[in-house]
Amino acid sequence: MASAAAAKKVLKLAPVRKAPSVTEFGSVPIGHKPFAREKNSRLPIIPTRLKLHEFVPSRYENHYYDTVRDDVMYMNYIHERGPRPPPREIRLKWDPNDPYSKYRKNPSVGGDAQVLRRPPPPDTPENVTRLEKIQIHTMHKQAIGNKQELVGVIMALRALSGETERGGGHHAVEGVQVVRGKRSVGGWIRPNVPCGAKVEMKGQPMWDFMGSLVDFVLPRLREFEGVGLPYAGANPHKQSNISGVVSFGLPREAMQFFPQIEVNVDSYPKQYGMHIHFVTNAEGVGAQDRARALLSGFQIPFTRKQRS
Amino acid sequence: MLSRCRSALSTSSRRSLGARGLATPVYTDPAVHNIPHEAVDPPARPKRGAKPTINTGIVLNRAPFLTRDQTTFERAFQAYQGRLRRALHNPVAYDFYFKEGSILETRFRVEEMKREQAAFGPSFGKLDVLDVEKFEAQKLAAAQLAEQEGELEEMMPRVHEADTNKDYKSLDRAGMRNLYLLVKEKDTWRFPQGGLEDKELLHQSAQRNLYAECDQYMDSWIVSRTPMGVHTSSASAPGARPIATFFYKAHIMAGQVRPSNKVSDFMWLAKEEIEPHVDAQYWNGIKDMLSDY
Repeated sequence: MASAAAAKKVLKLAPVRKAPSVTEFGSVPIGHKPFAREKNSRLPIIPTRLKLHEFVPSRYENHYYDTVRDDVMYMNYIHERGPRPPPREIRLKWDPNDPYSKYRKNPSVGGDAQVLRRPPPPDTPENVTRLEKIQIHTMHKQAIGNKQELVGVIMALRALSGETERGGGHHAVEGVQVVRGKRSVGGWIRPNVPCGAKVEMKGQPMWDFMGSLVDFVLPRLREFEGVGLPYAGANPHKQSNISGVVSFGLPREAMQFFPQIEVNVDSYPKQYGMHIHFVTNAEGVGAQDRARALLSGFQIPFTRKQRS
Repeated sequence: MLSRCRSALSTSSRRSLGARGLATPVYTDPAVHNIPHEAVDPPARPKRGAKPTINTGIVLNRAPFLTRDQTTFERAFQAYQGRLRRALHNPVAYDFYFKEGSILETRFRVEEMKREQAAFGPSFGKLDVLDVEKFEAQKLAAAQLAEQEGELEEMMPRVHEADTNKDYKSLDRAGMRNLYLLVKEKDTWRFPQGGLEDKELLHQSAQRNLYAECDQYMDSWIVSRTPMGVHTSSASAPGARPIATFFYKAHIMAGQVRPSNKVSDFMWLAKEEIEPHVDAQYWNGIKDMLSDY
């Protein structure tokens, strides 16, 4: 009898449990203590410092790490044997330990003529050219006379970038910012007058913007031959050449080609053009060329300007 | 904290920019000039043995065209981040982006409700609807619009026929991986390669050798003029010279390889599939040039 009962007990199976999903949630976790609230807005103050990360896999980011990064490294690699020699010391240096310097100031002397000729740092696996951020900005002339005109610009940039001010907690997302005039230029602008908007994107929003620009906008632009390269034989020692930033503008007709805008293009009072800056980590002489090589890996076309 | 970081960053960048004439302070920190602590002299060259014969090889790559499959951890992490983002985002300015009572607004609100419920559970994202009949009609219209836009269309499968048939010659196989071309000469598998002609540069030789072995019926591009690696094989017979092969990375964009009479067969393989086909010494020379993904 006892053995039969034991057998029965063994045969009774535990109920089959479904593995919990990792992407769907049944309920909201309830905290032990309610959050403190901000005085004016009554919004909860989140007690931890949050930094939000990717929430969907990004096609263009994958493409960078799978393909473009290697290619850019091979294209830009400059072989150096051994460490670089220390820079030649042309002038006297201010030595704080020298008794002569005691009670004397360290006066700043003019600019640095060599800054435009400084070679890029030695190539290492860490400093392969990469995209750090994209900034877009728009100036809207009518906004100088009428502030209300800026609303459309701000909303368009919000839709384009998906960024809002401190959207997602404490981290340093500045969202769309209003640009104000800095100085007085007769008949054009006055100081502190709002005249445009700008937004900076990093991480996922940056790659998403790159995707929509390359997949939807550039192929549909009329008479777009590519981003202009400087004339052949132009002076290479320019500030823009050593900073690793590639910039170009889009005409106002381009705005409607962004899928974020296209879906409800009638909501915007006007169409706005924009300047786009791709900021990379490249530095030193030829940095802009290295940044261009990186961007052409994402199918942004470049064409050489012709002297007419 | 952030502002302190930023000010520290700005001073350091000023410092790195700053050979400022007389005002330049003396830095004892060698990192300022990128000088490593130890050696200042370049490393001594190794003693020369027999001069090798120079060959060029081409690592012809088919880049991945699908996003990678996520691991369970990655999916969980991203779902959690999405949930956080949803909880902390600023409210959407409905009244700017949508005309009140439009189909587009209904569509957005219904989709948003589904997303809210997926993130926080069924008690969230309830819509307060005044005119139920009108709302239902609009919901239908929105669904129709979504269907017209092809939202319910079935997506292409991530696994291709070539994967199931184990067709190693197809460029459609293993869409998530970097594939490399291997060719068969007599009984050995290797990358396409060939010798150097008189007064020819290495990258020109690479281009010529690629065409010589794989023909011109493909759209390919050699990435750089600098080689991605070198492999030196020991001399086959006593007294013979060793062979140094400089490898160049190339991409295939369109077309397909047609093996010439020099080679008898070809395959497109991912990194770990290459190992069993090549000999151990060759594998040790090439494995670090290939992508794990």
